[in-house]
Amino acid sequence: MDLAYTPEQQAFRAEVRAWMDAHVPKEPLVTLECREGYDQHVAWERTLASGNWGMVTWPEAYGGRGLDLIQWLIFEEEYFRAGGPNRANQNGIFLLGPTIMEFGTEEQKARFLPPMARGEVIWAQAWSEPGAGSDMAAIQSKAVRDGDHYVITGQKTWSSRAAFADWGFGIFRTDPDSKRHKGLTFILFDLNSPGITRRPIRQLHGDTGFAELFFDEVRVPVENCLAGEGEGWNVAMATAGFERGLMLRSPGRFQATAKRLVELYRAHEAEASPAAREAVLQAWMQTQTYAYNTYAVASKIMAGGKIGAEASLNKIFWSELDRMMHRTAMQILGAHAELKRFGNGKINQWLEGYIFSLSGPIYAGSNEVQRNIIAERLLGLPRVGAG
Amino acid sequence: MDFRFSDDQLTLTESVREYLAGTHGPEVLRRLDEQGNRDPAIWQGLVEMGLTGLLVPEEHGGLGLGLVEAALIAAECGRACLAEPLVDTAFVAVPWLVRRGELGDLAAIAAGERQVPLPHVLNPWVADGTGQPIQSVDPLRNLVMFPAAGSSDPYLLDLGALMSAAQLVGLADAMLHQAVEYAKIRTQFGQPVGAFQALKHQLASCAVAIEFAKPAVWRAAQALQDGGDSASVHVSHAKVAAGDAALLTAETAIQVHGAMGYTYEVDLHFWMKRSWALNGAWGDRAWHLKRIDQAVIGGALPIGPEHTFA
Repeated sequence: MDLAYTPEQQAFRAEVRAWMDAHVPKEPLVTLECREGYDQHVAWERTLASGNWGMVTWPEAYGGRGLDLIQWLIFEEEYFRAGGPNRANQNGIFLLGPTIMEFGTEEQKARFLPPMARGEVIWAQAWSEPGAGSDMAAIQSKAVRDGDHYVITGQKTWSSRAAFADWGFGIFRTDPDSKRHKGLTFILFDLNSPGITRRPIRQLHGDTGFAELFFDEVRVPVENCLAGEGEGWNVAMATAGFERGLMLRSPGRFQATAKRLVELYRAHEAEASPAAREAVLQAWMQTQTYAYNTYAVASKIMAGGKIGAEASLNKIFWSELDRMMHRTAMQILGAHAELKRFGNGKINQWLEGYIFSLSGPIYAGSNEVQRNIIAERLLGLPRVGAG
Repeated sequence: MDFRFSDDQLTLTESVREYLAGTHGPEVLRRLDEQGNRDPAIWQGLVEMGLTGLLVPEEHGGLGLGLVEAALIAAECGRACLAEPLVDTAFVAVPWLVRRGELGDLAAIAAGERQVPLPHVLNPWVADGTGQPIQSVDPLRNLVMFPAAGSSDPYLLDLGALMSAAQLVGLADAMLHQAVEYAKIRTQFGQPVGAFQALKHQLASCAVAIEFAKPAVWRAAQALQDGGDSASVHVSHAKVAAGDAALLTAETAIQVHGAMGYTYEVDLHFWMKRSWALNGAWGDRAWHLKRIDQAVIGGALPIGPEHTFA
């Protein structure tokens, strides 16, 4: 165990910090969940790419810097220290990107990764269906092989970014006689393909972050299939592992929230409750231990290890931590918590953050499903319904 | 930057775990409970493993290892609910004596001939010392009132708190394991009770709490070993997180055992009572939270994404 940064790592941190200080927008962007905000965030992705910061861990040939996971963590820490905006392309760079890196052909890597890193193609996920939420293996949307194309018919829902994004990815049933986890295939598709209808869904906060997708005989070339036909479930589980385990929610994001929470508490110390004070201390403790754990996972992967079912521990921890921190802020704000803008005109970001934090325990596999995974795969308890 | 244990550290930990699993099972705790609490043969086994000299410098007959190794072994002592005063003497007293330059007893400690219980002002009593006996809820914890006021050295307190935290994560691991094993074999309504989500989800929450207490303990051990200004805050963090994880797991484990958990017959109570004892020892939860408060809200410690290892 060596918890000191090397001089090279320190120099890298300084380089990121200087660039972020010079480029991160001084005022927060409009929320990503509306057209105006989406466009602002995509413009920011391209600014990032202009500094070659799109996805630092990818090989240079694919638009990255070929850096390791510790450097990625340093990058993320500095990104959130500077108040960097949410990543419009997080479905691409953090979920699909690593999946393509693991399962894609050389052609697919060369075709999809560089435009992703440059922020030119923004990706939406398309996992859930009306009848397949927590039970994702109940997927029914079909992709029928027709020569060198798949013809997709069906419906996806809760597709993050799909209201405005360019491309999507998801799993589809390619074997019509298959059941459950078998016969599914991971397919990438252009959201502007003929036959796709997007219906934005108005979310809790009133904006449109996700959408329903209707597929009416949408033709997708077979070369857009990732890994083999019928391998979709395994590929999707790997993507989910990246989502829950490491990349999607780097610790810097939560440490920045904890720091802001401490500052909020200090400003309201006189009227805040003792319970809020302890919650603020928990925020610091838990964001720190989340960071240590992430460094431990990164160190393990760099030494050749893999993320398994323990990713579910991670997902529960960060999602419930994020909700707790924002709930605490709402308690500290008291009567002001309900205001969309404060008296000084500033947006109540704690309110926006609190609403968003309520989605954390639901998306990326509900925390109930994660607890089942932990109980069955890590603790070895019998599967649900076992006699 | 590398947040992993070395192969040597993992091998050592594994060997201690296997040794204790083989020689210090629940049946040993029951025997000790009935026959005087301590057994020279168990102590001699620990001495022969080199554990009494783990932190004793090599020139005094020890292994000369550091606090990270000691914390890893302390966690194994917690897992086994070890009753012998190994942690207090070898992992708390020894580094404190070394720091103070009091090297006279080290060879005897390494050889297992001397045990050094150390009182601190926050602990009015000590385990395995000489003085007026008092009774702990933990039947295997030999407490005595210490006649004189203890030390007020914060380094001694940090060592005691760190090693308590390490034992607490090991205790928590063991209690979770016991609850899981019971839930697999106890059947009701025609199936193992562990198949019910009501139990699964509670046990999974314990696994989360333990998983995210451990890194705080390892980080605190490294911080105290390195001797930085902020080491005390990290020790307090470790103590609070490990204590919370252990108490949550204790309460969940007894619930999973149902009425059996409320009996003296089921093993769980040894681990649960040790957890209660260590949770309050070497600075209780409120004391450690206050120290974190002074650093975090008080502003002495830099916080934020760029200060993970401050």
